[in-house]
Amino acid sequence: MKEHEKLREELSLAAAGALGRDEEQRVLLHAASCEECAAELEEWRSLAGGLRRLPTPQPRGEVVERSIALAAMRFAEESEYRSNRRVMIFLLAFAWVLTLASWPVFRMLSSGVLTWLDPQFNHTWMSFAALTLFLWATGGVAAVLLARQRQSERSMA
Amino acid sequence: MGLESEVAQLRRGDLDALAAMVSRYQNRLYRYLMRLVRQPADAEDLFQQTWVRVAERIRQYDPQRNFDAWLFSVARNLAIDHLRRVRPDSLDEPASGEIEGETKAARLVSKDRPAIDGILERERAGQVESALEELPVTYREVLTLRFEEEMKLEEIAAVLEIPLSTVKTRLRRSLGRMRMTMRARCPNDDRNANA
Repeated sequence: MKEHEKLREELSLAAAGALGRDEEQRVLLHAASCEECAAELEEWRSLAGGLRRLPTPQPRGEVVERSIALAAMRFAEESEYRSNRRVMIFLLAFAWVLTLASWPVFRMLSSGVLTWLDPQFNHTWMSFAALTLFLWATGGVAAVLLARQRQSERSMA
Repeated sequence: MGLESEVAQLRRGDLDALAAMVSRYQNRLYRYLMRLVRQPADAEDLFQQTWVRVAERIRQYDPQRNFDAWLFSVARNLAIDHLRRVRPDSLDEPASGEIEGETKAARLVSKDRPAIDGILERERAGQVESALEELPVTYREVLTLRFEEEMKLEEIAAVLEIPLSTVKTRLRRSLGRMRMTMRARCPNDDRNANA
């Protein structure tokens, strides 16, 4: 009796094709010998069949076309955003390389270790590096703010 | 062109692949959204939002994953957000009446069948559809994914982001609720009167 109750609980899942092969086999074997479960299984199958045969509502053609257009537009925006980001990263890396490279270049131009050790020269290079960094940082912040503004304008639209 | 190659082309930025993909999934996706939100206007809006979201996130999609599960998961998240925002109480609210905006032609099952069979079949389909609409959204979605989308339980679990055991439990409960509703609606129907 316990087995009957247990298998009866699985009848709906058997009709839904949601049991493993062995489990389903056990349920079907039981249903073949139990009139009550056979009738109930038939009921579940009828319900499952009704669900499978439900008519499919279809979207209007203009909705489909508009979806394609909107998605294509967003896709282009995403591509542009990624391209801009790549350019930004390149420029930032370039700025750092330029700033750091200026040190050995200055050393080479000043020709000589003594000048390199000159505190006056170090001061000049540091000022140059700080100014360069400040300019790049300002440019970067401005670019980020502009990008954010543009993004919010897009989402408003 | 196969689905995998369409996805790969879309990831590379091919807009023709986007159109092909929308065309491939339009009926299934719209049907799924209709089952979730029940209103054609809302389903159409969510249909558009889903494809915009796909365009935004297709590069984040892992090709190892099942694309159907990913796509329906995107649509589901948008639909659930919409229901929470617009009609927070409707997540479990029963509905009644027919689906608006659906043509009678769409309800025809087969033109080759004898007229009386067609009428009975349509009547039965109407009863099943009404009973389905009365279920809470958590039950409706599991039923539509299993019986209309014919997804495996593992795929359903991926779409709903729940464990496999919970999918089975929901499927069992939702069928039980469907049967109760069908019995209450048509007690004289032999197909609902067994057991």
